[in-house]
Amino acid sequence: MTEPAGAGNRLVAGTFEGTWRDLATLDAPAASAFFVQGHAEALAAVWTHATDPSRETLVASHTRKEAGLVESLRAAGLATVDVAGLDVAVDPLPEPREAVAGRVWLLTSGSTGRPKHVAHTLDSLTTVRGEQPARTWLCPYTPGAYAWWQVVTLGLSLPGQDVVFVENDRLENWADIALAHGVDAASGTPTFWRQALMRSGETLAKIAFKQITLGGEPVDQGVLDLLHGAFPDARVSWIYASSEAGASIAVHDGRAGFPEAWLTGEPREGRPRLSVDGDELVIASPHRGEGVDAQLHTGDRVEIRDGRVLITGRLASDEINVGGSKVSASQVRDVLQSHPGVLWASAKGRRAPLVGTVVQADVVLSDQDTTEADLARWCAERLADYAVPRRFRLLDSIPIKESLKSDV
Amino acid sequence: MSQLSREQVREMMADVMAKQGKTLPDDDATALDTFGFRSLDFSELALKVEDEIDEELNFDAPGLRSIETIGDVLDFIGQLVEQA
Repeated sequence: MTEPAGAGNRLVAGTFEGTWRDLATLDAPAASAFFVQGHAEALAAVWTHATDPSRETLVASHTRKEAGLVESLRAAGLATVDVAGLDVAVDPLPEPREAVAGRVWLLTSGSTGRPKHVAHTLDSLTTVRGEQPARTWLCPYTPGAYAWWQVVTLGLSLPGQDVVFVENDRLENWADIALAHGVDAASGTPTFWRQALMRSGETLAKIAFKQITLGGEPVDQGVLDLLHGAFPDARVSWIYASSEAGASIAVHDGRAGFPEAWLTGEPREGRPRLSVDGDELVIASPHRGEGVDAQLHTGDRVEIRDGRVLITGRLASDEINVGGSKVSASQVRDVLQSHPGVLWASAKGRRAPLVGTVVQADVVLSDQDTTEADLARWCAERLADYAVPRRFRLLDSIPIKESLKSDV
Repeated sequence: MSQLSREQVREMMADVMAKQGKTLPDDDATALDTFGFRSLDFSELALKVEDEIDEELNFDAPGLRSIETIGDVLDFIGQLVEQA
């Protein structure tokens, strides 16, 4: 067996602190779906896979284990394994099949239906290559998510990439954990960063970030400016990646969207080809999951403005019909988030008389002196009359899901 | 009106107009189109009332087409609140 190049990197996960080599390997069938209690167990499952090229593996948080999913995984030939600390409980298949060597399964979020499993390998999940500056990364993502795998494969494949994992129930204290362990690079959703700046700004200011990465949700100029302002010495990057498309876009110039020129011409070796169909982003990525369309229609809405291609939100949930006029929820959200007194916003349709639906906005303020009337005026100056939110809900904190995306 | 007085609904209606820099006339007989009270404003008022009483209103009542004055709006909202 060839040991992964990052095997000596330091890992912090719950009570575990050591290198990849210090992790236990799990005694489980060659084709297994591991449902894990926390990151340490998840990393043990990854190490078990990485050190045995014949294995086929799925890693997921125990919170995702439900009967329908288990049934579909077992039908696909994966034994299910519960891992809690040192306890490994295997539910073997009556007639196990041969493992597909090296395959790694990822579950999609399932936000638009039952989660799908997408096939990858450690290699297809490894999207950062070449010499990289030494970093200590913070990984706040749920075990098994695509973004989690991106940080994990970085830590596994490149020397000098240490990783500090944050358990879901410690997320509110991640800034303290990061400070205690010398973190200087972190990846999270825009919601995650906005919430952190609101909740733990003073602690965060003590962390000497060199790299900040955003992804998983539309990245607007407001959050990029917030982060540049808070961490002037850090490189702030945003990425577009999903289990199906793979890592496809990385932007480091501090601006929302990517250059329109990327839609034309031949992509560089190993880079995806990007295009727009109507107002939908289409990606042909060498990092895509196995069996995924070569030209993947992502379901993400784009807008081209001032030479930049902005990814604004999901097509399926973006349109609000107000009395026959179409309103883009993401456009309303962006206008609100550009208000200097707003930290975070979300817009959606709400059933209403006469016009069927009106726009309602949830808002978290950064300036408590800002009023609903201020927000309504701000929107009225920038949006069509029918797109101006008619109801505002002022929230105390940013709603967030286990996926670190906003809970709306 | 079981949970909101007519005057309270009137104040909410005034708030809707004030957000747009407009003033709600004092006379309930004033026609809505004379001071720019539109469908979206009616919708907003209805949602404010829903939020205030924490109940959904049933808008499937047939009286909408006869709502022409401030008094008509207050009467109609009052009926919906009573049915909620």
